[in-house]
Amino acid sequence: MKKLNEAQLNELQKDLDAIRDEVLADLGERDAKYIRRIVRLHRTLEIGGRAMMPFGFIPPVFVAATVSLGLAKIIENMEIGHNVMHGQYDWMNDPSLHSQTYEWDTVCSSESWRRTHNYEHHTYTNVIGKDRDYGYAVMRLSDDVKWHPAHLLQFINYLMLSVFFQWGVGLHELESERLRRREITWKSKWPFIKSFFRKGGRQAFKDYVFFPLLTLPVAPIVLAGNAGANLMRNLWSSTVIFCGHFTQDAETFTEESCENESKGHWYLRQLTGSSNFTGSNFVHMLSGHLSYQIEHHVFPDLPAHRYREISPKVQAVCEKYGINYNTDSFARQYWTVLKRIGKFSLPDSVRLKLEAQPA
Amino acid sequence: MMSLLEKNRPLRWLGKQLFNREDPAAFFDPLLAQVDPMLVRQYVPAKVIEITDETADTRTFILKPAARWAGFSAGQHVNTCIEIDGTRYNRTFSLSCSPAQWKLHGTVSLTIKRLPGGKVTNWMHDNLQPGAVLGLGEAFGEFQLPANPEPLLYIAGGSGITPILSQLETLASEDWRAPVTLLYFVRTQADVIAAERLYAIQKRWPAFNLQVLATEEGETPQYLNDQHLEQVPGVNARRCYLCGPKGLMDLATDLLHKRGIADERIHCTFFAAATAALATDDLGGVVQFARSDLSVSSEGDAALLDIAEAAKLSPQYGCRMGICHQCSCRKTSGTVVNRVTGKVSGPGEESIQLCVSIPQGPVTLDL
Repeated sequence: MKKLNEAQLNELQKDLDAIRDEVLADLGERDAKYIRRIVRLHRTLEIGGRAMMPFGFIPPVFVAATVSLGLAKIIENMEIGHNVMHGQYDWMNDPSLHSQTYEWDTVCSSESWRRTHNYEHHTYTNVIGKDRDYGYAVMRLSDDVKWHPAHLLQFINYLMLSVFFQWGVGLHELESERLRRREITWKSKWPFIKSFFRKGGRQAFKDYVFFPLLTLPVAPIVLAGNAGANLMRNLWSSTVIFCGHFTQDAETFTEESCENESKGHWYLRQLTGSSNFTGSNFVHMLSGHLSYQIEHHVFPDLPAHRYREISPKVQAVCEKYGINYNTDSFARQYWTVLKRIGKFSLPDSVRLKLEAQPA
Repeated sequence: MMSLLEKNRPLRWLGKQLFNREDPAAFFDPLLAQVDPMLVRQYVPAKVIEITDETADTRTFILKPAARWAGFSAGQHVNTCIEIDGTRYNRTFSLSCSPAQWKLHGTVSLTIKRLPGGKVTNWMHDNLQPGAVLGLGEAFGEFQLPANPEPLLYIAGGSGITPILSQLETLASEDWRAPVTLLYFVRTQADVIAAERLYAIQKRWPAFNLQVLATEEGETPQYLNDQHLEQVPGVNARRCYLCGPKGLMDLATDLLHKRGIADERIHCTFFAAATAALATDDLGGVVQFARSDLSVSSEGDAALLDIAEAAKLSPQYGCRMGICHQCSCRKTSGTVVNRVTGKVSGPGEESIQLCVSIPQGPVTLDL
């Protein structure tokens, strides 16, 4: 990581706080209108998708219904749920858009998500051993973790995680790796397991039981379409999230390096541990503006549609301190993610040999 | 159809499963509000029908709530929810009309005075137009009329007249048989709120005695004293209702106590007093944790999260630096200062981050 001294870190904090304060002072009608427009879009797509699904025996209708429902789930999870739960819209004082009461359309309960994501991941971003989002305990993505022959197969883990992403995220708090190592007991996880079955059951009931049964003669079509929509959301959200922290230049940190860290140091870690990708406004919206992962990690509770507007300012701050502002096209960032997963599946000796060769 | 999703238990359960929310009918609100804001289910919508001037700084807003609103009894208040620049504000106002108006015409009146520096009241005076829709909570409050006729004494000050207006209109329409006196303290005669309605009530209801007392029109300011009470026939046997500024209420309670009138015969209600923004060095205060039925006092710049934990409560928390919103909690009343932004909150109900909020005076939390 770029080394800055205490004075520089303090200045960095001031510069970033200034950007934040400017947005906070300007929050209002425009942001409320934006999120409400997105919520309307979500409702329209979800109701439209569900209404069309029973007519999915007509192939183009099946595609339209599945895509509509898939987009609805993507928008609800990424641009509404994730962002609302960060408290980005708490200032609106609208109980339907409040971080503590919002429950999103995915297996992971909001309560569990706020613990594992808002707190663990956003506080200990990319700190190996502390940020369990780094590799989700099923992948080795840096040499801070000792290589094990099982890692050779981690590309399969990656594919499984992507396909069943909502279930993976839902089970994240189980801390299966720590259960395996007997660091924690199953008993201590009982409250979580109960809540997992409640929320997971609710989600499965809705998409795989209720709506198919409601339209019994075409149940298999509805079942397939709903599964397709969930798959679409799983692949997209996992890919977006992986592009946010697992790209080639996204840095990792050790626990010692961030003990008693200052706010400035925390900011620096967020800037260097995250990566953006470019795209159209529609793509940004579909990613919940996690395409501006750097801005999101620096200011997790600012309304996400503002990230695009403040991005040039954040970039200028990075330039001022010589910090790498990690951004590129979606395809190139994703390719470096795949490379990272592949590289660290290999024993260190093999990986280092490969890395030594000119690309 | 939407009310089925709220009232029919199996359907409500199903709605929760499908829409992941406790109020499943409100899932459709964003689309319904586009069609007609009065179709919203999340709160009871109420349309502004008419706005009339009472005095230079007081107006009456006549609202037509959606039919499912449950009604009220004379002297009760309601929470209103008004959106200003993207933020919803909740404020409590007294209903100033009689319940008969709601039953006959389906409308209710709020009589609202501008509070100096008050965000919501000033906004309502300056921006609210007929046709606008705001949210209305269910009525509440113990400031209620006795079941059987008995002599009453009202002491009101300024805009404290509003819940009393509601009761007087109710009594007048019932032709209440016992004597009723109102001592109404105003700065000048021009500050009498709802003067026309008051004088009309006086005219048609012989048992009612109205005394408007202007405090600032004489040589020296005139305040409530025992002489005023002495002139009320059979004052010691009357049930008393007080509403007005704190100074007047304290004075009145004191004088009534001295006359040996028991506490259970004195009914008080406060109207929203402006909590002026205090200097930032004026931090700390009594924090009431409503759900835990616990109250502790704090000093200096201790954050609410620390105060709660010191009181052996364990609210949810995360980063403790204002980032993760794990500790967001509803404040039902009181003012807090945000340690990060330095901003002072409003006095009403809103969500705050416990870890960076410092009480400024008494605060009540839903914790």
